[in-house]
Amino acid sequence: MNDLARHKWLLALVVCGMCLVALAAALGQTTPAVTALTRTQNKAAPADPGEKIYAANCARCHTPPMTLDPRVTGTILMHMRTRARLSSKDQKLLLQYLSP
Amino acid sequence: MTTQSANKPIWKRKIHWIDRGALHGTIRLLVLAFCILVGFTTGRAQDDLLAHTTAGYVPVISGGIAYIQNVSGGVQYLAPQINPVLLVPIGNSLLLESHVDFTGYFNRMNYTSGPYIGKVYKTTESAQLDWYADSHAILVAGRYILPFGLYSERLTPVWIHNLQDIPLTYAIGTHPYGSGDGIMVRGVAASLPSSTIQYTAYFSAQSSIEQLQAVRAAGGDTSIFVPSKRVEIGLSYQRTLYGYQINNEAVYLSWQPQRASIDLKAEFDRNYFGDGYWIEAAHIPQQFPVAPNFFRHAQMVGRIEEFFVRNGGGNGLASENQQRPEVGFNYQIRDDWRLESSYGRLFSRSEDSNTWNFGFTYRFVWPLWPGRKS
Repeated sequence: MNDLARHKWLLALVVCGMCLVALAAALGQTTPAVTALTRTQNKAAPADPGEKIYAANCARCHTPPMTLDPRVTGTILMHMRTRARLSSKDQKLLLQYLSP
Repeated sequence: MTTQSANKPIWKRKIHWIDRGALHGTIRLLVLAFCILVGFTTGRAQDDLLAHTTAGYVPVISGGIAYIQNVSGGVQYLAPQINPVLLVPIGNSLLLESHVDFTGYFNRMNYTSGPYIGKVYKTTESAQLDWYADSHAILVAGRYILPFGLYSERLTPVWIHNLQDIPLTYAIGTHPYGSGDGIMVRGVAASLPSSTIQYTAYFSAQSSIEQLQAVRAAGGDTSIFVPSKRVEIGLSYQRTLYGYQINNEAVYLSWQPQRASIDLKAEFDRNYFGDGYWIEAAHIPQQFPVAPNFFRHAQMVGRIEEFFVRNGGGNGLASENQQRPEVGFNYQIRDDWRLESSYGRLFSRSEDSNTWNFGFTYRFVWPLWPGRKS
């Protein structure tokens, strides 16, 4: 395949992707969501500050964890504090959100 | 034991003077004392935080398991893998973590016929001690995953990335080992309601120790996140200080629009051997008109990427220009189980080829200590 044809291919894909984004945005996404990410996205302003921290940091990379055993929540959040570069205040708010 | 020997420091005394049974007893005692110390410190970890939550701090093993069947250019590969991460909190300000990767690659002896042959590769991705020195600073010592760009540190876990094929530019900033041995400081520089600025700076020493290989390098990463727009923009820089002394640079973007369940990520990487970009969009159709209960667990993914060779390429990068569009369909059976499928076509001057992936991923978090239950 020559370069021109390849670039047309890629351009077509980009256009399709943009259409998909526009379509999804137009739909509005108002049904209850599966994930905490989308749960948070559907709310104009999450009431819980921990939920806000969750949406801002954790959900940027992955879907929410499975139901966490309270025994491990603290350890996992220590790990995620390192990985996601969280402040100690954010860590506390997340702890209260995930293991109230 | 002679008087002369008794006057020597204990570490200079000859071990054969000690009864073997007593030696074993001493070792057992030391191990027990260490366990008690770890258990004590673990048990009292984060007392101030525990006062307001039911969270526990027991040692944990977490990670991902995957089985991926890959067909590239007509050749089938089977790639089972397991990536356990061991987490051991010590007190309220130290965390010991170790991440090991076991990945097998099996293909037919004659590529398209014959019995499957292959090998399981094991890699120590990280073995580090994290010290939460301050609210805004975390010191890391040991072996750590190189924090370069968006993909290497954040999206490499098998249960996180949406497409199993790694980007064409992945080797930029991570070649050849993907990890560094040394120290790193990271954290959040400013956390405001309007934005968050995060940073990382690190130095890695040269190492040729088996399983701990690393190149001498120094670098950093910084990003700004705007919560109201859900936009993150980041920059990474790394200078390789051994062998090819080159600069590696990356710019990345992550965006999750408020009104749609779209996850858009993009990264541009550059070094002496080449440059390129990838753009990936993932969408969960929450309100699909047909079978909404089925589709709200589904995820559609698309990625386009290009790599442009410079100075002959190589060093983990291709030696010719490449383009690859790729689409995928994933299905979240449960929170921890996900089915994956994708198709991509790789274009290059020498050959165009198809890449298919099918498989599943499973993520786990298991406590290693009884601890307390809520």
